[in-house]
Amino acid sequence: MTTHDHDFTAAPFLIEERPWSPRLSLRVRPQHRETLARSLGLDLPSRIGHRSVTDKTELLCLGPDEWLILVPAQGRDDLMAASAEAYAATPHSLCEISDRDITLRLSGPQALTALAAGCPRDLGSLPIGNAARTVFDSATVILWRDGQDSFRMDVWRSFLPHVRAILHKVKAELSSGL
Amino acid sequence: MSRYRIPGMGRVDPAAPVSFTFDGRRYTGLRGDTVASALLANGVHLMGRSFKYHRPRGPISAGSEEPNALIGTSRGPGRFEPNTRATVQELRQGLVTESQNKWPRLSFDIGAVNDRAYMLFSAGFYYKTFMWPRSFWDKVYEPFIRAAAGLGKSPTEADPDTYASRYLHTDVLVVGGGAAGIAAALAAAQSGAKVTLVDENPEMGGALLSDPSVRIDGRGSWAWLADQLSQLRAAGVTLMTRTTAIGYYHQNMVGLVERLTDHLDQPPQDAPRERMWRVRARQVILAQGALEKPLVFDGNDRPGVMLAGAAQTYLNRYGVKVGDNAAVVTCHDSAYYAAFDLVDAGGRVAVIVDTRDQVRPDLADAARSRDIQLLTGHTVTATGGRLRISSIRVNPVRNGRVGSGRRISCDALLVSGGWTPSLHLFSHTKGSLTWDADSQTFLPRHKTEACQIAGAGRGLWGYAEVLADGVTAGMAAITEIGRSAVATSARVEGDRPGTGSSQKELPTDRSAGKARAFVDYQNDVTAKDIRLAVREGMRSIEHVKRYTTNGMATDQGKMSNINGLMIAADALGKEPPQVGLTTFRPPYTPTSFGAFAGYHRGATFELTRKTPIDPWAEAHGAVFEPVSLWRRAWYFPRPGEDMHQAVARECRATRASVGIFDASTLGKIEVAGPDAVEFMNRMYTNPWTKLPPGRCRYGLLLGEDGFIRDDGVIGRMSPDLFHVTTTTGGAARVLNMMEDYLQTEWPDLNVWLTSTTEQWATIALNGPNARKVLEPLVEGLDLSDAAFPHMSVAECSVAGLPARLFRLSFTGELGFEINVPARHGLTLWNALMESGKAYDICPYGTETMHVLRAEKGYIIVGQDTDGTVTPQDAGLGWAIGKAKADFVGKRSLSRPDIVDPNRKQLVGLLTEDGSRLEEGAQIVLDPNQDVPMKMAGHVTSSYASDALGRPIAMAVITGGHGRMGETVHIPMPQGTIRAQITSTNFYDPDGERLKA
Repeated sequence: MTTHDHDFTAAPFLIEERPWSPRLSLRVRPQHRETLARSLGLDLPSRIGHRSVTDKTELLCLGPDEWLILVPAQGRDDLMAASAEAYAATPHSLCEISDRDITLRLSGPQALTALAAGCPRDLGSLPIGNAARTVFDSATVILWRDGQDSFRMDVWRSFLPHVRAILHKVKAELSSGL
Repeated sequence: MSRYRIPGMGRVDPAAPVSFTFDGRRYTGLRGDTVASALLANGVHLMGRSFKYHRPRGPISAGSEEPNALIGTSRGPGRFEPNTRATVQELRQGLVTESQNKWPRLSFDIGAVNDRAYMLFSAGFYYKTFMWPRSFWDKVYEPFIRAAAGLGKSPTEADPDTYASRYLHTDVLVVGGGAAGIAAALAAAQSGAKVTLVDENPEMGGALLSDPSVRIDGRGSWAWLADQLSQLRAAGVTLMTRTTAIGYYHQNMVGLVERLTDHLDQPPQDAPRERMWRVRARQVILAQGALEKPLVFDGNDRPGVMLAGAAQTYLNRYGVKVGDNAAVVTCHDSAYYAAFDLVDAGGRVAVIVDTRDQVRPDLADAARSRDIQLLTGHTVTATGGRLRISSIRVNPVRNGRVGSGRRISCDALLVSGGWTPSLHLFSHTKGSLTWDADSQTFLPRHKTEACQIAGAGRGLWGYAEVLADGVTAGMAAITEIGRSAVATSARVEGDRPGTGSSQKELPTDRSAGKARAFVDYQNDVTAKDIRLAVREGMRSIEHVKRYTTNGMATDQGKMSNINGLMIAADALGKEPPQVGLTTFRPPYTPTSFGAFAGYHRGATFELTRKTPIDPWAEAHGAVFEPVSLWRRAWYFPRPGEDMHQAVARECRATRASVGIFDASTLGKIEVAGPDAVEFMNRMYTNPWTKLPPGRCRYGLLLGEDGFIRDDGVIGRMSPDLFHVTTTTGGAARVLNMMEDYLQTEWPDLNVWLTSTTEQWATIALNGPNARKVLEPLVEGLDLSDAAFPHMSVAECSVAGLPARLFRLSFTGELGFEINVPARHGLTLWNALMESGKAYDICPYGTETMHVLRAEKGYIIVGQDTDGTVTPQDAGLGWAIGKAKADFVGKRSLSRPDIVDPNRKQLVGLLTEDGSRLEEGAQIVLDPNQDVPMKMAGHVTSSYASDALGRPIAMAVITGGHGRMGETVHIPMPQGTIRAQITSTNFYDPDGERLKA
């Protein structure tokens, strides 16, 4: 069930739930990164927190041997097939986690402030275009910075109601002006 | 205008009266007042009764260190707060305040009899009085101590306010917005660094707010201050007032509490009352200033006795005279300036009593020119008055001998015992201190964090020196973070430098043992108490503190610690540093629970995880139970059913036809890679090599110690891919354990782990009709027993959804577990409910699951195991791959204590009288032993079993596997229950039903 909060008043920030789309976790040893990238036709960034975008496919490096792949629905099966073909020569793991996470978009002039309510990282210094695996309140999240005041937050499905509830409290707090 | 308010003075707004009540009486103060300054403007000094002796007390300070003027405040319904410091709480329209610890009223308090009996309440009173008889403890002593403990009334209503939290990252955090802090912040900001300046007061300025006559850079200090603040704002410095730095933690994390609404007449909708800031700073500058010490003499707590610096603050900042005819007693130069300001404002100062023999000539001249009598080399030996000071008794001291006393009338007494650098936050960092013999105080020495200390906080005095030191600290901070700026300097005219001596209790010609000479006002500790503690054997200041309670009140001894130390050191005949200083701990000042809780209250008190099927369970009246962070449907009562009846019905329906259960919370881990099978062999006790794809197996996970950590059914999806399930509570722990081994022990293995707990919604179907319910929905798989036998797994389509389908059972019945992508969980549930209608499909919860598995003797890790149970103990020796070279825990399984036949082993229990045992009940082999009996084990699981028509239990019992058929005894309050040891496999022991 997808719900959207559209707040067209002068809210400090907007919370929107993004629709479902395929999401995969790719694991491969660092020394096989380039070979696998060629086999799968992907641009796998080598620095943690960096991402690449090609043809609506987004790749985020989460660790020395870990990437998150967001792929359009029609590209999912091709990617799985390419992975299966490359497996024997270049062992790796490609695990579907499309339903594990739900993504929120946070945007608006106080989006950064809202995130500072629950995230201990210095998000002001997170470059636009980068992302980070971090925590918000009690939940592990992946935060994508898409613009100065625009973020995506990937949250494990069962943690979402809590994260949302905290964000709504923060929204009320920021609306008070204090 | 109130009687003691001086027109034209202070920073309060004379055009903005604010009305409030104190003990039911209406008063008017001004915008900018605190409760204390407003009451003093109305001539009210008596604001409370002391904790132990119920002595009348008034404010002694004008700040957050106040030990006396603690009042109850009410900001509206549900917003009552005890022990609010009247010197901190700003006035707001309609504020209701009340004094504490008095009955029937503040001016006549019955509890004051304690004061007459004060000789009884000496140091160590509790330890001496409540020793014996032992039988008095529970009924008499403890209730008495509890009733007497604590000051003020606890609130009885839920707090209607909200509280907020926020993280902040800054280059430089400056704590304290006085002269040093402002100079430091500006110096740092000029380098382009991100600077944050915080102060606990409503406005920045610190002591400058109380010293308007000082001129800096050719301007009055207040004009200079305003200019500096606008420069700070222009430089982008974040200025936070009403913000207390409460704690200084590791790696330059400083906790701040910002008070947002307590001072507002009408707080905005949804505004939080307080906000906790967690600040990570590259450099911290501590510019907390110094706290003035009182002097210790008989009657030094009478209302009207006040720190000289506080009187100066009430005068200059609030325009309030603390009396018409003041006296001063001091050992520090600073009190002279307070006296001069008072006279210059039209007040009268009868006398300055200085304990020192010599006084700076310019101060003596200035006193003389103001017609103030100056008595050097004198002491104060008593005060007169009851609810307000009316006189002091003054005696000369010559060569240590106290001469005869005379009375001097006064209605206020300004005291100064010198100043203590405020080292609380520095102390939180475990920075070391050094005793400075010249100034008789502790100063910061070795730093453990990236911090600078500036100004009066490190013992400096006078604005010129403090401002220069602030600049130095600011420059040092930015140099440390690789920035630079040009240092500036300020020119100060009319500066107020000063020095002083340090005092133990003042000398007296009367019996020191009878003097009510208070060291700790909040806990009513006198000089006599501290000397008694030393006489009774306390040597360390830590022992003196605990024996006397000196410094143990909520003010943490801000005023009393050094005075107490000086007296203890004198009594011991040692130097103060040899006696030591007690440790300051966070928070710096009392902090509300709300600020710590932040958003974590009500529905967001604790994170609660819910499954995709949870909404259905909620809509169908499920009763929930928490399982780790999850809430799970416990049982589904029908109207009129209690838990027992509902669970019995759910069990019966499942065994008779079919039950449906939401198992989505089970942990799931995808283990993938060419070395997946080798990894599984090493992690789990079981052998995995020969398990073919399409089959699943019960897996047992041990720790290195050989004890059971987790279990679950594991399916082999392909040669290189395992679908591992874990217990609900163990999911994160098991993944961490696996990653730990993979990264530290076996980095050579080509295998990767992914948590898929939330990727899948999992629904269990159990019962003889389970296949009939499922079959019509399945495509691409033959579900017959021959094609898809017990312990099989396959990918197929269920209700049109892509699924991983397991045939397994945790009930002993024909069972399936269907995993579909989590977003489809509810769709699948509804489809199965629809398909199951013909078979009266029954949704069941965790309780029924527990009963059904117990009837089969299947263990629950964490219930039937407690971290000391081995596979053999649990009867799971069959799950060990004996031919395997190694697995986690293998070596421990051959330890002598692990193979001991008398270990506690898991068995079944059936009571002779048919009663249901209590889980956790202790078991003995011989009920006729003497008490305390030797415990042979305990009950781990116990349920009423519908299938067996009687209660069943599981228990761990010493050597239990060798005691089949024996009788054991469970002593309970109602009597001893006899039970027979049996197998744990109570129902369908041959497992025929699984093969359906």
